[in-house]
Amino acid sequence: MSKANGTAWGSERKENMLELRKVTKVYPNGPIALNDVTLTVSQGEFVFIVGQSGAGKTTLTRLLLREEKPTQGQIIFNGRDITKIKAREVPYLRRSIGVVFQDFRLMPNWTVAENVAFAMVVVEASPRLIQRRVGKVLELVGLAHKAKQLPGNLSGGEQQRVSLARAIANQPAFVIADEPTGNLDPETAWGIVKLLLEINAAGTTMLMVTHAKQIVDSLRKRVVALEEGSVVRDEERGVYHG
Amino acid sequence: MVKPRTFGYFFLSAGTSLVRNSLMTLASIGTVAVALVVLGVFILLGANIGAMTAQVERQVELTAHLADISSEQRRRLETELKAIPGVTDVTFVSREEAWQKLLEWYGDNRDFLAGWEDDNPLREAFTIRADSAFRMTEIAQAVGQLRGVEEVVYGREIVAQLLSITRAMRIVGFGLMAGLVLAAIFIIVNTIRMAVFARRREIGIMRYVGATAWFVRWPFIIEGLVIGLTGAVVASSVLAWGYYFAVRSLAAAIPFWPVVAPWPMLQTLALVLLGLGALIGVVGSGMSVRRYLDV
Repeated sequence: MSKANGTAWGSERKENMLELRKVTKVYPNGPIALNDVTLTVSQGEFVFIVGQSGAGKTTLTRLLLREEKPTQGQIIFNGRDITKIKAREVPYLRRSIGVVFQDFRLMPNWTVAENVAFAMVVVEASPRLIQRRVGKVLELVGLAHKAKQLPGNLSGGEQQRVSLARAIANQPAFVIADEPTGNLDPETAWGIVKLLLEINAAGTTMLMVTHAKQIVDSLRKRVVALEEGSVVRDEERGVYHG
Repeated sequence: MVKPRTFGYFFLSAGTSLVRNSLMTLASIGTVAVALVVLGVFILLGANIGAMTAQVERQVELTAHLADISSEQRRRLETELKAIPGVTDVTFVSREEAWQKLLEWYGDNRDFLAGWEDDNPLREAFTIRADSAFRMTEIAQAVGQLRGVEEVVYGREIVAQLLSITRAMRIVGFGLMAGLVLAAIFIIVNTIRMAVFARRREIGIMRYVGATAWFVRWPFIIEGLVIGLTGAVVASSVLAWGYYFAVRSLAAAIPFWPVVAPWPMLQTLALVLLGLGALIGVVGSGMSVRRYLDV
């Protein structure tokens, strides 16, 4: 996939899409959220991040989106150390990362199409491109017929698909799915995972943080297990429990 | 920098949000309007009090009693008096006029003056007015040094008291006004902050999809501007109507009350309120959004 606009983030192509070097995050008055984590994700990979609550999965997501800086270590994304970028550069980092959250995070009083289009309005894409691309991604997630509906009228699975459509609207090279199936029944969850696999197959690097043992075990993709802030397992074709 | 096209989006977004959150919009406009009306009332009162004190100060006068001098000397003296800085008006009072004034002053008790009428004991004098009571002492000194002036009389203590009263009124008025401006800003900023707080999720989502801080801020700033300006228009209309009404009733009840003419003061007031409304709206919303930008 090509970038919608040529920012510094998308234009560079490195074989290592993401590299964490000895990353440690300690919250004030709190436990060590991440402890000396070193991790490399290549372009086009599909990686599951698994672990119990409090293992550091959420912290990892927050660091990748630069909501927070690590206490120590470097995070190289697309060839740049994102722990060192300026605050005003953060939006441009986020434009090159699509995010899907467990709670969908859609604007309740915007239509499905408006929600998806918003990601592109933000990067100031042309109205024509927005119209074309929104139609395309909604078709991809199977919701073209619900473009004018409000999120409240949609099922949980459909809302998550809208959220996913928004995440890929700008054709990011990297997608983080933070427990995307957490609020969904198993059948609906599989629908979302299939979409993630499709997007990954088209070349997008995918990082899926999850609790869903069944999904992880049947797909046999790379699994990175976190425990108390440390990487305890990193296996190609892994399973949920070592 | 933001593309011009995107500004279209900002205005559309601000407009949509103003309409969708119409209750909050009306509440904010109402708050701005009420705060500005209260402020405007004080500004109008202040302007009138100011005008009144200025007039009272102008009415302070000084009398220079003359020695026995020729009319030629008197004319020269009049020119010299008029040349003193701050002097606005010099009126000659002849002995006869002074006598008539005295008679008027005594009114029904003028019998007291009986026996003096053929031998007027009064001296010729100049009545001198200044542009400000503040300069009276200075002017009195200058007048006293002129040749032909025998004695200078003016209400030294009265002037001093008057000045301290008007000065106090000005300070109190200014303090009140400053306090009201601050209170108005506080109330308005709080209202806007509530409106922004209600939409913090929206701001969060904007940030996650990579909106820059300014991109998030602009629609809110436009909304703040619209709310501020609309509130100011409402407040100015209410104040203009109220002031015309008050001036008319007052003129009917107390004909000589020195009110400040509605025009052009109301125009100036409206401009001040519009500027203030716009400023508070923009700064208030800009500040309120900032708190939710760090995600």
